[in-house]
Amino acid sequence: MAYQHNHGAVGSQVHAHKADIFCRDETRVDWHSKALWTLREKRDRAAGSIPEWEQLRQLGSDIKLHTLTNLAQYLEIFEQNCLANGIKVHWARDGAEHNRIVHDILSSHKVKKLVKSKSMLTEECHLNPYLEQRGIEVIDTDLGERIIQLAKMPPSHIVVPAIHMKKEEVGDLFHEKLGTKAGASDPLYLTRAARAHLRQQFLSADAAMTGVNMAIADKGAVVVCTNEGNADMGANLPKLQLHSMGIDKVVPDVDSAAVLLRTLARNATGQPVTTYSAFYRGPQPEGEMHIIIVDNGRTEMLKDKILAESLKCIRCGGCLNTCPVYRRSGGYSYNYTIPGPIGIAVGAKLDDTNSIAWACTLCGSCTYICPTKVPLDKIIFHHRRLKAEAGQLPYGKNGYMPLVGKFMASPTMLNCSMSMARTALRILPGSLLKPFSGAWGKYRELPVAPNSSFEAWFKQHRSL
Amino acid sequence: MSSKLEILNALKLSALMNHPMPSIEVAPRLENLVGQFETNLNAVAGTLHKEGGIKALQAKVDELIAQGLQVISLVEGVTANREMPPTAHELKDIDYAVIPGEIGVAENGAIWVNNKNLGHRVTPFICENLILALPTNKIVPTLHQAAKEITLASGEFGVFIAGPSKTADIEQALVVGAHGACSSNVYLL
Repeated sequence: MAYQHNHGAVGSQVHAHKADIFCRDETRVDWHSKALWTLREKRDRAAGSIPEWEQLRQLGSDIKLHTLTNLAQYLEIFEQNCLANGIKVHWARDGAEHNRIVHDILSSHKVKKLVKSKSMLTEECHLNPYLEQRGIEVIDTDLGERIIQLAKMPPSHIVVPAIHMKKEEVGDLFHEKLGTKAGASDPLYLTRAARAHLRQQFLSADAAMTGVNMAIADKGAVVVCTNEGNADMGANLPKLQLHSMGIDKVVPDVDSAAVLLRTLARNATGQPVTTYSAFYRGPQPEGEMHIIIVDNGRTEMLKDKILAESLKCIRCGGCLNTCPVYRRSGGYSYNYTIPGPIGIAVGAKLDDTNSIAWACTLCGSCTYICPTKVPLDKIIFHHRRLKAEAGQLPYGKNGYMPLVGKFMASPTMLNCSMSMARTALRILPGSLLKPFSGAWGKYRELPVAPNSSFEAWFKQHRSL
Repeated sequence: MSSKLEILNALKLSALMNHPMPSIEVAPRLENLVGQFETNLNAVAGTLHKEGGIKALQAKVDELIAQGLQVISLVEGVTANREMPPTAHELKDIDYAVIPGEIGVAENGAIWVNNKNLGHRVTPFICENLILALPTNKIVPTLHQAAKEITLASGEFGVFIAGPSKTADIEQALVVGAHGACSSNVYLL
């Protein structure tokens, strides 16, 4: 079937190889790139419409940085206030412990069906397969998440998880799984079919689970944002609700949350705010509310002051939409649950191909649009340094980079070799030289050689 | 050692230098709050009814009931044809829910709703269509002002609702009516 199109969703291979697979279908790549760029343009209009935009970015950055530098204190305040509101709080060092805690809560309530709304953290912890193996039915309820769950694929974007799929593919999938008309691909028709299907799931669920956009320390409340209303349909029907959050989600107060809410949706999709920004400050009557606070590598990142800033991220997805590499290599080329610039920032360390830190042109566009000023290009560059120091350079760089370093360090060797290269480019046929350009030359023509070096040109002209 | 203690201890090794909490002072735009609110409510696919107040709202409810629709009202002074059922699940066939909004936000068309006025928390999400009643003098410029005024006591639930539910998960095509309400009408009181 079309939706099983090979996007290289499984297995670790270097980014360039997976991008190659994605790029085989040029029309699809163009469409993908354009769809994401449209989001970027909507974001620009939304950001441009409020004069205080840059002030909000600075405030967002300062608030997150302040909270991160006092994280232990804020987490303890948050926990105390949650307890006072009748919320049960759990702590998990890693994904495995998080999954165990969730399963324990669900099994003690004999939960058979769990409705979930989007949570990148539970993706990071691989919660769904863990629960399914233990006999709990897990229903992802965000439309995009439901599509990829039915297609048995991971998300390819953190805000629009099925962005890699065409409506015809969704139509085929829904025809097979939900019994929609064969060949029907109208988004309105398909969305209505999913609405009817998921209503039944909401009404028959035993428990609901959501991620957390912000955890408000001084209130002991969590904020959950959706456009579809799936988080709130879920959490407010069954009597048992669970919310998983990374330790980085806490903010001091409602005023801080308001700053981030002002930029989150504007930067993600260009909307002035998400349709629903729900504040849960306790369970419903006779209900039970659990919050699981998860570390899973975050305290480790805080030990490096450059990597630490990636924890300011509020998961708007804006950096993916603007990234020239993500737009043309797809979400499955990154060897990590979260793709794009932020995926590199938080996932490069775990990448056993050591290649995703190079899935970046260091253009800095992501950093310029980030609503909390995460210095993404700086972090990605830092990852390259860490990989080099650990002797884990990809694409054979361990072999030739030391050589390049020696050449670049010696003016004589550099001038001599550049002069040879210029002569070779002028007199030798391209077909003979092309193999020497390696991967660089795969999709590029060799340059036209200038007559002299820039240095020579500069020496000749600077007296003018 | 408990996981909590391990995490708190690991945080002591953080490399970040202390960073002060900024003071949040953003100049509000105070001119024509109703106009700003309407523009942004339209942008999030909601509709504003400025004239007629509670009478216009009751007339709308009567019209819906005459069409044979199931309407529930939580707004004082507006009567409909359904009572609040004992369980949340029984709200599944509600066509229209009429609920009171506490604060409107001019910059984004959102309205703050507190569970005290909802019967069940799920009311504004499970209804096919949503009608919100909002006092005109409760429209504030931005979320900064709204943050100061929202009610959210211990144990409560509250939500900013900006228009009807929507999605663009299939090829980025906007579809209004995902899991929550398929339409959102706001009556100013």
